[in-house]
Amino acid sequence: MANILLVEDDKNQQILFAEELRLDGHQVAVVGSGPEAIQAVQSQPPDLVVLDVAMPQMDGIEALGRILAENSRIPVILHTAYGTYRESFMAWAADAYVIKSSDQSELRAEVRRVLANRAKAKNP
Amino acid sequence: MSIVTPHGPRLKVIAMVLAGGQGERLHPLTRDRAKPAVPFGGIYRIIDFTLSNCVNSGLRRIFVLTQYKSSSLDYHIHFGWNILSHEMGEFIRCIPPQQRTSTSWYLGTADAIYQNIYTLEQERPHLTFVLSGDHIYKMNYRAMLDAHLEKSADLTIACIPVPKEEAARLGVAVVDRDSRIVDFREKDPDAPTIPGSPSLCLASMGVYLFNTPELVRQATENFKTAPETERDFGKNIIPHMIKQRAVYAHDFKDENRKPQKYWRDIGTRDAYWEANMDLVEVDPLFNLYDADWPIRTAPLQYPPAKTVFNEEGPAGRRGLVLNSLVSPGCIVSGGHVERSILSPNVRVEEGARVTESIIMDDCTIGRGCTIHQAIIDKAVEIPDGTQIGLDPEADKGRYTVTTRGIVVVPRRMHYA
Repeated sequence: MANILLVEDDKNQQILFAEELRLDGHQVAVVGSGPEAIQAVQSQPPDLVVLDVAMPQMDGIEALGRILAENSRIPVILHTAYGTYRESFMAWAADAYVIKSSDQSELRAEVRRVLANRAKAKNP
Repeated sequence: MSIVTPHGPRLKVIAMVLAGGQGERLHPLTRDRAKPAVPFGGIYRIIDFTLSNCVNSGLRRIFVLTQYKSSSLDYHIHFGWNILSHEMGEFIRCIPPQQRTSTSWYLGTADAIYQNIYTLEQERPHLTFVLSGDHIYKMNYRAMLDAHLEKSADLTIACIPVPKEEAARLGVAVVDRDSRIVDFREKDPDAPTIPGSPSLCLASMGVYLFNTPELVRQATENFKTAPETERDFGKNIIPHMIKQRAVYAHDFKDENRKPQKYWRDIGTRDAYWEANMDLVEVDPLFNLYDADWPIRTAPLQYPPAKTVFNEEGPAGRRGLVLNSLVSPGCIVSGGHVERSILSPNVRVEEGARVTESIIMDDCTIGRGCTIHQAIIDKAVEIPDGTQIGLDPEADKGRYTVTTRGIVVVPRRMHYA
């Protein structure tokens, strides 16, 4: 099971997504903004970041660039209610792009896929 | 440029000129400036050749990616190349590292592109040229662009045949009959030669044309997976891409139009001196005087070059210049200059003798000096009677002396 950093500014969504991921056995740390996410990555690099995009202060696209600048090997899933960020070149550096939904199966599937890829890259 | 293809759509094309080269082997010419800002041929900077190629090819949306000791380069681009029309969507813009996606210097060519992903995002061109600001050559990039579209390539690389011995310091491509690159070896002395020409390899000129989405995908993938020493097109991206994507070689058609194709990476001080000395030949390999492919630089505001004194007799003072390039503002005042290059505003005083040397802007060669096979960087006042290039041992104690024995005097050197 993995250490996941969930970056999400909405309190209700924090609870919903974190609990869902915990049900799959993951350890989930939650922060509410881009700068906090960067700090968290600096102090204890997680196995995976699930990153909201539309956030005040620093959006998830900018945060993605800065997280990878800290550690280019950390997998990141962009998790957003909007499809339009997919066009941003920086978003292409993410390992997956998941549209938020009331049904969490796609998020959970992508988490599984990205973690499996990471394990494969570590022990080819 | 925006080009209209035969199929109708208008494609947006930009150039990213990599101008962060440290040029360590050119030291001390690169002590205070990046390699693309090193003066060349009297009035030019090395980057002028690539920028002239862009403008002559109709490629007029240009980002110059600077980083290391960029002040001299910034100044040159800002004041010398402010010639394009903003209203027409044209620009030449210097971009320093943004530090939004990395905290380090550019670790290689691919890293320079990845770190400028927001710059690409701003423009969202269909096609992106990635060029080096370090090379001297004349090339029409438009011909390469046509070939790229014709082949429906993801990446096209301009290539030139070079002697096999050069393979150890260049990237070498192996192509099939259709010019598709099937193998690529970076700095491999045993790289395959061109079929039928056992003494030649097909070298990459560091001139790349990418479909932009492919460039972004490759650069991000490289950043996330390649070791730091391989954040480079030649070392990582190209060998990786040729297996899965349409990567083609483009045969370099030289706008210099001489029997021998001319493309130089002025890597060392000796190569620098030799390439400059070529220019003073009666029929140089590299032609600066072709009005059909003009090389431009920062405009100079100086009075005309001048020679003075023409006194009769053996003791008579005579200002004499033979087989040399003399830039505006120079005064050869009773001195003798032969097979040399004088940048703007140089003074050569009475009785001084300058041979096979490169003298940069604002230098004064004092009375009775002898300067032979030397490179004198900007703003040096050589005191009367100084001898350079005659006594290798004495020179080594005071200056940088190259393998070939060329003496290099650094910028603003002060004599006690």
